[in-house]
Amino acid sequence: MGVRFVMYLAAIATGVLFGLKSSQNNFIIKNRNIIQIVVLLSLLFIMGIKIGMDDAVIQSFVAIGYKAVLIGVFAILGSLLAVISIKRFIRGGDVK
Amino acid sequence: MTLMILSSIAAGIIIGMLTHPFWIQNFATLFIDIGTILLLIMVGISIGLNSSVFEQIKSIGLKLLLMPLAVVVGSIGGAAIGGYLVGLPFNEAGAVGAGQGFYTITSIILATHSNQLSTIGFIANLTRELASFIFIPVIAKKLGYLETIAPAGSTSIASALPIISRSTDAETVVIAFITGVICTALVPVLIPLILNL
Repeated sequence: MGVRFVMYLAAIATGVLFGLKSSQNNFIIKNRNIIQIVVLLSLLFIMGIKIGMDDAVIQSFVAIGYKAVLIGVFAILGSLLAVISIKRFIRGGDVK
Repeated sequence: MTLMILSSIAAGIIIGMLTHPFWIQNFATLFIDIGTILLLIMVGISIGLNSSVFEQIKSIGLKLLLMPLAVVVGSIGGAAIGGYLVGLPFNEAGAVGAGQGFYTITSIILATHSNQLSTIGFIANLTRELASFIFIPVIAKKLGYLETIAPAGSTSIASALPIISRSTDAETVVIAFITGVICTALVPVLIPLILNL
């Protein structure tokens, strides 16, 4: 995972630099939405196959789903509490 | 788009269940790595093309960076607590929380760790995105404008932004967008880091 962390960081940095330096007429810039969709859907399809082949995951799908929804709800609550606690530093005494 | 995403995964799961194509195991991780890198380059390009974000950060000041920091720390902490309640190790639950609603990238990155965690990452972050659509208008009315950015997380750069815009004011929209950009860039960086803890 350490190598992946560096690869992912480098990929984003490469993209940002490319976006800053390239013109709007560049082939990749012009077609980035379609490239993104094709790559994304292919990846999700492969990921789906991996999940479908994993009998343990398929058999416990409902139990996994319940855990996942709970974690999602707690992630929302955690971020909400954190934003409430720092809000005054950004907008002073504003009500909103 | 959501329908296309769900259809792709559903088609993959059904094919995986019915045909068990074991040959795919040999190259799935390599394919996911290459595809993820391509996808992240595209995310980076979108950030680079919105270069005005960097000027907006300057004009509002560095205190603005407290927003993405709060969203990230709160998401990871909240998910870790939720994970504790359902018996998931804190690093795995924290990594799911670090997804901040970016369910596609999160589940793809987690697939290199385990299929079960990838499924949890997908459902948890999809739940977060859908819940944010429902609750942003309520949060704006009952709690305040800045709080609407919290459930949206990284989706405040994309799908949640129109809802935030409709429910709040112009300044909040700018803060939401910048927070979304930073959160989105942090998702693929934080997930492997937290998994390693």
